[in-house]
Amino acid sequence: MNDYKSVYIKNAIWLTILTVLEVGIAFIDIFRTGQIVLLMTFAITKMMMVALIYMHVQHETKTLKWILFIPIPAGLLFTFALMYDIPFRWVV
Amino acid sequence: MNQNQTVTMPLNDPFGKATTGKLGMWLFIIIDGLSFSGLLIAGAALRVAANAWPVAGEILNIPLTAFNTFLLICTSFTMVMALNAIQKGNQAGLKKYLTYTMIGGGIFLGIQVYEYYHLISDGFFLNTSIYSGVFYVTTCFHGMHVLSGVIYISFILYAASQGRYSENNWNHVEILGLFWHFVDLVWILVFTVIYLI
Repeated sequence: MNDYKSVYIKNAIWLTILTVLEVGIAFIDIFRTGQIVLLMTFAITKMMMVALIYMHVQHETKTLKWILFIPIPAGLLFTFALMYDIPFRWVV
Repeated sequence: MNQNQTVTMPLNDPFGKATTGKLGMWLFIIIDGLSFSGLLIAGAALRVAANAWPVAGEILNIPLTAFNTFLLICTSFTMVMALNAIQKGNQAGLKKYLTYTMIGGGIFLGIQVYEYYHLISDGFFLNTSIYSGVFYVTTCFHGMHVLSGVIYISFILYAASQGRYSENNWNHVEILGLFWHFVDLVWILVFTVIYLI
């Protein structure tokens, strides 16, 4: 059994660094769209790091990886469908 | 069949060495992930449709929640170390890291209750606005997952204290780890969407 302890420690350190950067980005006064894109990029990177390293997705078979990937396009589809619907139906 | 008996898997098995329990947990994670997606997407849709949306930093305690995020990252590390320990047959390490993870989860919940207490004291209720509704429903749904995780860990910790796990039998610990890491993974997105954006 390989010992991945150093990989796990490095991953935790990088996750912490990215979280600190995220909070920093949220507080600085920059172009709003750029800020959202940066924050989402950081969040997705962190989620990938947790999934690949802590959940060991990188060691799973191709079939399982594909199955895990399915909800992502489904989520995007729901988002676009809902966003498209907003101007026609909702007034909050 | 004896639990420790080795089962030879076919070489072309699409799921490799993954047990049915592990596949079941992955399936649950996919479904639960879609539930969280539904909440976050609904929140985003309400936000886009709203004429005005409060700045999270003016209402919520972001530094405290950032610390909570750090805490959850630390518990993900201790959880993966628990699995790492038992894969090497280190039962004391398994119990130690599971205990750390459970304590971390408990502190996370304590901080969340503290945050809710202060928000409610300031008149920020579930029905105060659409924003407060989105905030409470999403964070509370996640908090319930953390609570479930802490209870789940306590059961596995009890089994570990009975000596049920070894270097040849750690499937339950791996499945628990998948759930706990998922709770961490979802929090990363919830923190960004609800608190930072």
